[in-house]
Amino acid sequence: MPVLGTAQFGVRTFYAASHPHDKCGANGLPVTPNSVKILGRFQCLTSLSHHRLCQYLDISKTKHECMIIVSEHHPQCLKEKLKSEGTFSEEQIVHTGFQILEGLVHLHDNNVTHRNLGLENVLLDQEGNVKLSEHGLYYMTDYGADVSFPIGLPRYMPPEVLCSGPVRVDDDSGKCIQPLSGPKADVWTFGILLLELILGQEMWSDLGINEKLQKILQFVKSDMSPFDILCQNNATAQKLQALSLEMRDVIRQCLIVSSSKRVKSGDLYQHPLFKAERAKAVPPKKDFTMCTTELRCENLELPTYEETIANEFSDDHLSQRNMQEVYYLWRLAGGDLESVLKKAGMSKTRPPVNLLPCFGILDGDVFGQDRDYAELLDNTVIKLNQEQLRHRLRDIPPRAYYPRLEDEAKQLDGQQLPTSPSCGELTTSATLPLIIRERDVEYQFHRIILYDRLLIAYPFKRAHIWREARVDIPPLVRANVWAALLEVEGDVQGAYDAIDKETPTATDRQIEVDIPRCHQYHELLSSPTAHGKFKRVLKAWVLSNFGHYVYWQGLDSLCAPFLALNFNNEAMAFACLSAFIPKYLHKFFLKDNSPVIQEYLAVFSHLIAFHDPELSNHLDGIGFIPDLYAIPWFLTMYAHVFPMHKIMHLWDTLLLGNSSLPLCIGVAILQQLRDRLLSFGFNECILLFSDMPEIDIERCVHDSIKIFCSTPKSATYRQHARAAKSRNVEERPNVSYYSRDYNEMPRTELSMEPIPMDELKGEKCPRISAEDLIELGELAGAGFSRSPTKKRQGSKPMIFIVDVRSQEDYRRGTIQGSINIPFQTAFSPEGELVPGPAVSTLNQKRSQVIVVLGNRGRSASNFANELVRLGYSRVCVLHKGIDVFRTTGLIIVPPADI
Amino acid sequence: MASRGGPQRPNGASQGKICQFKLVLLGESAVGKSSLVLRFVKGQFHEYQESTIGAAFLTQTVCLDDTTVKFEIWDTAGQERYHSLAPMYYRGAQAAIVVYDITNPDTFGRAKTWVKELQRQASPNIVIALAGNKADLASKRMVEFDEAQAYAEENSLLFMETSAKTAMNVNDIFLAIAKKLPKSETSGTPQPRQGVRLNNEQGGQQSEGGCCK
Ligand SMILES: Nc1nc2c(ncn2[C@@H]2O[C@H](COP(=O)(O)OP(=O)(O)OP(=O)(O)O)[C@@H](O)[C@H]2O)c(=O)[nH]1
Ligand SMILES: [Mg+2]
Repeated sequence: MPVLGTAQFGVRTFYAASHPHDKCGANGLPVTPNSVKILGRFQCLTSLSHHRLCQYLDISKTKHECMIIVSEHHPQCLKEKLKSEGTFSEEQIVHTGFQILEGLVHLHDNNVTHRNLGLENVLLDQEGNVKLSEHGLYYMTDYGADVSFPIGLPRYMPPEVLCSGPVRVDDDSGKCIQPLSGPKADVWTFGILLLELILGQEMWSDLGINEKLQKILQFVKSDMSPFDILCQNNATAQKLQALSLEMRDVIRQCLIVSSSKRVKSGDLYQHPLFKAERAKAVPPKKDFTMCTTELRCENLELPTYEETIANEFSDDHLSQRNMQEVYYLWRLAGGDLESVLKKAGMSKTRPPVNLLPCFGILDGDVFGQDRDYAELLDNTVIKLNQEQLRHRLRDIPPRAYYPRLEDEAKQLDGQQLPTSPSCGELTTSATLPLIIRERDVEYQFHRIILYDRLLIAYPFKRAHIWREARVDIPPLVRANVWAALLEVEGDVQGAYDAIDKETPTATDRQIEVDIPRCHQYHELLSSPTAHGKFKRVLKAWVLSNFGHYVYWQGLDSLCAPFLALNFNNEAMAFACLSAFIPKYLHKFFLKDNSPVIQEYLAVFSHLIAFHDPELSNHLDGIGFIPDLYAIPWFLTMYAHVFPMHKIMHLWDTLLLGNSSLPLCIGVAILQQLRDRLLSFGFNECILLFSDMPEIDIERCVHDSIKIFCSTPKSATYRQHARAAKSRNVEERPNVSYYSRDYNEMPRTELSMEPIPMDELKGEKCPRISAEDLIELGELAGAGFSRSPTKKRQGSKPMIFIVDVRSQEDYRRGTIQGSINIPFQTAFSPEGELVPGPAVSTLNQKRSQVIVVLGNRGRSASNFANELVRLGYSRVCVLHKGIDVFRTTGLIIVPPADI
Repeated sequence: MASRGGPQRPNGASQGKICQFKLVLLGESAVGKSSLVLRFVKGQFHEYQESTIGAAFLTQTVCLDDTTVKFEIWDTAGQERYHSLAPMYYRGAQAAIVVYDITNPDTFGRAKTWVKELQRQASPNIVIALAGNKADLASKRMVEFDEAQAYAEENSLLFMETSAKTAMNVNDIFLAIAKKLPKSETSGTPQPRQGVRLNNEQGGQQSEGGCCK
């Protein structure tokens, strides 16, 4: 993406052809509007960057299929320059011609045909260098099929385009069948353009449109080269004959009637005419790719403050930022396209009454509508004023554009919560609600600049990115930040390219019926371009996991957020999906996944009971079990149940957590709906979830972190979670007790171990491992501790141990700090706890995690079940009972008087 | 275009008996199960109806003469892989609608498999209806009406061709089922709502019967 430099932003509009009302496709469903098709096709143009092309920035659609396109713009164009200067020297023409050719070659290398080249669409920047504009119109409209105006000016049309007649569109697929112009069409136009520069005027400017077209068609009838025909013309002969042989050869080769014999743009580039220009040409800057195995930083130049003030832009630091970023900030600074258009009088539409037909028949066909001239192409470009943005950023010190990362890193090694380094005084903003932060132009500015630097230094700066992500992730950089959090690395593109995504497989039907139902309210994802990408990414996943995992409905939902973010980078979408699944959904896509899901749901039930026994008791009582509503939650990590913008915020946090965090999110959702659930019966509860009710995501995220932090690590142990990775995970900051997966810890006999399913389901409470108990109860010195926890108040849950064995057993030895409430005598016939000093102590400690300690038998879990029934929260059971401590030397004889 | 009328709740005196029935929808993915339910329950049609994961639950009440029939509808996921979950939903169901897509013969084959499974595994007196959906796409028809009807007769199934899009026969098929369901007074008081029993591995024969009073 090029830097802003002296470029402006320009807006153009055009209308997509609207379908007749009620038009249905082969499946009986309404056909995709042309505007949505254009929206999808447009996207890849934004990553088609080249210093000879005006950068495309944004597209949106408004009412009546009106498309608004934002792109780089420069006030001067070749047409005006020609007018003001009259003629160009041959040297000048070669220079300008070569620059145009550079742009064309780049387009053609990327399979884009301009088809709209002309003097008016060759813009010149302040230094007089060429910037082609409008080069994507033909491409984004599917060869003109999606609009009802012709593309390209008549005098530039090559004969084959005129001969093949108007655009024809296939009724079923809505695709353009004919005529499709290829790159050779641009070569012809390039030839005409050179002629115009030579002659100092437009070709055939004195002729009407019919006569112009006739002129072109005459070329077809003659055996002579069009150039030679033109040389015979009295008006032009003199100038043409004065040209160098090379120039004449170039024009002659461009203007070959048969497109198959016409020269290719790439060969033209190598023509001797351009020898000197070629030698001077600077190779285009390669765009930064985050994941590659090439040497990325070989030519890396980070702009520095000193350099920038030394060069001519002196104090315009914004001009050194990339255009996409500046445009993004422009919008945050209050820029609004529709109001700009309104002000410019561009969004005029005719009152509907003027659009009524004169005559209609019962079949529904109507006649006598005037053509709406708004549907024709309007070449007006509205410039977007950057003043407002610059004004908003005026107080930002120049140095803020060039943040240093190292110092802050040191500072962050301390204990305090990670703050955003480059924004010292912005920490106040960091506490504002996310929605506000995302709209605050200054805040976003700092965050984007910081992340930009961090991402360039990925993977080296992974730990720092991780820390920043705990504050927030700016939407503009989310795609890459997510990839960084998922630890995507290496030759992502190569890996993706190596997978066969075309050969039909048995899963294709399912994928094909699922895609058109997946997040289709999202304009981008509902476009045919998106459907194609969806299909390839999903097929790539299925294929690369062949024999191991299979496609389950729901995988499409999981793919959607990654695709929406990496729309122009399928390989990255695929890489993220491939990294996400093992982390959060390990084994979920096994052919037989029921043990995995059953265990997950059982642990979820435990977690509900742990944090909200009242709700758990109610839901259990009415038979409203997670199996009935939570499968789509977990199988898609909530991507099936929330709209896209909510998924983005939810996953921003999810990606920072370990594989247990999703369970906590589930509990947070239930708690947000708690009052309703408690008052509802079975039917109402399940109806509530058959259409996910409105959830406040920021609150949900907040709550789930709290829930996560007050849950002992081993309580969410799952045997089917991913086992420890062999790779060292130390690079990630081990900020707290929680940042690692339980399964990533070394195993000992004090650890959790697989629990049989029926046992798991029979218990209401989670179990806690001896290891965790030692850690949380601080029963042993640091040397004993296996998790490198920083001992900080409030950084982990407090625990309280209840020994439910008989008094004799208890007297013989227990764990430090425990109280004794023997199960046998604990409960009255009514099921209440029999009052006593131990019970009073228990009641005082109700805010702590209650660990029930027993023998190997069932009494501990039965005791715990009773506590849940009585509404005690945060109850868990010591796995394997007291025996597990035999070898640790941690069993003590309790002081006699408790 | 699909009409988007309000939910149709046939009106009638509701002083009579109230019956509650559990109904399950089965059939290949994308044949329109969720669309049929949505049309029946809310009178709507969504072109981009989301795929179903696991199952979804909805209820709707219809009046038949002096009886109010309340359907508790379980709409299941169609993908073959979710098959293992299906028994949890059809177990104890008094009615089932097996759906296929008239433009896709494979889905008809799959419907037959479902019918067989229901006949073997579900409650013996379950009322089964066969719905040939997407009848609005007559020009793309691949399963003949007569063929499906003959099959339905052989297996004593209710049969209709439906369209969730145009609403054709959607209420009718549910009403036909309601009529066919036993509304005897035998089973006494309505049972308390118990959700779905999951721990009952082989509970196929657990007959909850019509719960009328
Ligand atoms: N033309 C037409 N399309 C229909 C009809 N019913 C459903 N559809 C479309 O068919 C597609 C699938 O419908 P769903 O209701 O999601 O199918 P399903 O059987 O629930 O699918 P799963 O949830 O995957 O099992 C959707 O795009 C619907 O809009 C119909 O009667 N006519
Ligand atoms: Mg469905």
